[in-house]
Amino acid sequence: MAKLEAVIGRYCYLTVDGVEYRVYFEENGRGIPLLCQHTAGSDGRQWRHLLNDPEVTSKYRVIVPDLPYHGKSLPPQSVDWWKAEYKLTKSFFIDFLVELKHCLELKRPAFIGCSMGGNLALDLALERPDEFKAVIGLEGADYTPGLDIIWFNHPRISGEFKFANLYESTAPAGPENNRREIGWVYSQSAPPVFRGDLYYYSREHNLTGQLGRIDTSRIPVYLLCGEYDFASTPEMCRRTASQIKGAKYTLMEGLGHFPVAENYQLFKRYLMPVLNEIANMR
Amino acid sequence: MKICFLKPRKLKLIPGKVNDDPEFKLSARYMTRNVLLSAGESQCIFKICDGQVSELVLNPSPMEPWDFFIKAPEKSWEIFLQPLPPPFYHSLFGASIREDFQFGGNIEAMFAHYWALQRMLSILRQIQNE
Repeated sequence: MAKLEAVIGRYCYLTVDGVEYRVYFEENGRGIPLLCQHTAGSDGRQWRHLLNDPEVTSKYRVIVPDLPYHGKSLPPQSVDWWKAEYKLTKSFFIDFLVELKHCLELKRPAFIGCSMGGNLALDLALERPDEFKAVIGLEGADYTPGLDIIWFNHPRISGEFKFANLYESTAPAGPENNRREIGWVYSQSAPPVFRGDLYYYSREHNLTGQLGRIDTSRIPVYLLCGEYDFASTPEMCRRTASQIKGAKYTLMEGLGHFPVAENYQLFKRYLMPVLNEIANMR
Repeated sequence: MKICFLKPRKLKLIPGKVNDDPEFKLSARYMTRNVLLSAGESQCIFKICDGQVSELVLNPSPMEPWDFFIKAPEKSWEIFLQPLPPPFYHSLFGASIREDFQFGGNIEAMFAHYWALQRMLSILRQIQNE
C-alpha cells in the first residue's frame, strides 16, 4: 500500500492590481484557518513538518501558499515579467495575502510567517488588523536593513552561495539533514527572486516609530525569535515587541532563522502554547 | 589556546584533512585562489589550486599574493572555532555582520567559493578541537 501524506496541493486563481496569478498552495487539517508565509527566496516546502503534524491539523486548517514567482506558483501569463527586475513590494505582499484569504473564503484566519513573513505579520497587524484573528511573526522585526546584497543575484555567483549561506543561518546543533534541506530549497529559486524579496525585507518594510499604532485588542501579536538568528536578531525582535503594547515575545533557544524547517520538534515546544492560546480565543 | 592555523604542529594536519574531505572536494572543484586568514597580528595564507590546498604560508611576507582575506582578533577566532560556537559566531556571515569578523579583497571570488570556504572553516573547527 502506498505511503501517502494527508497534505494536498491545489491551484487557485486570484487577481492583485489587475493581474491574475495562478497560485499553488498546500493544505491539511480542519478548524481555524492558519495561513503560513514562507521566507524570502524560498517556498512553501519549508512548512512540510507543520503541515503533517496532527497535533496542529486537528485544530487548524493549515494553508501554505507559494508566492507568485516562487515554488510552483509561476510568474503571471499576462505580464512581460522578464523585462523588469523582480521586486516584492509591501503593497503587493499585503494585498496578495488578503486576496488569497478572500479567494479561499477564509473567515478570520490566523497568520504565521517567518523572516519576511515575520515582518509581514507586523505589517498586517498595522494595516489589516480586522482581516486576521491573530498574527505570529517568526524571525521578524520592525526594520531589518542591509541584507539585499548584490551577491544574492550576480551572474558570476551561483546558487551554491545561497545553499551555503542559508545553511549557516540555522542553529549549529540542529538536525543536519534539515539544515541542508533549507539550503537546497534556496539554491533552487530563480536567480532574482531572493534578492527581489529582500527589497521588501530590507527596504520597504520599515515600521520604525509606527509600532505604537498596532492595537493588540483588535489583533493579538506574537513574536518568536531564534537564539542563533543573525538576520533578525533576538535583540531586534525583543525591541520590536516591547514597542507594541500587549505583544508577546518568546526567545527560542537552540534555533536559528528557520525554526519551522530546521528543527520542527524543538520549534513545536514554543509554537504549541501560542497556537493553543489562539485556538481558545473567541 | 592558540588557533590551529597558527600552530605549526596543527598546521601540518590541515592540507590532508581538508583535501580528503568529500564535501570540500565537491565544493572546491573549480577553486584556485589564495585565502588570507588573519588573527590579530598573525596571518596564514591558504593556497588552493584546482580545489586542493597546495600550500600553507604562515606569517607571509607582504610580497606574498592573496585574493581575499578573513580577519578577526585571535580571541574571536577561538570563539568561532569552538565545537558549538555561541550565536552569530556559528557562521562566517553572521560573525561578520553582527560580530568583529571582517573580509575584504576580491570578495566576489569569496562569495563565488563560499561553500568551499565554509567547509574549510568547518574542518578547521574539527582540527582545532582534536
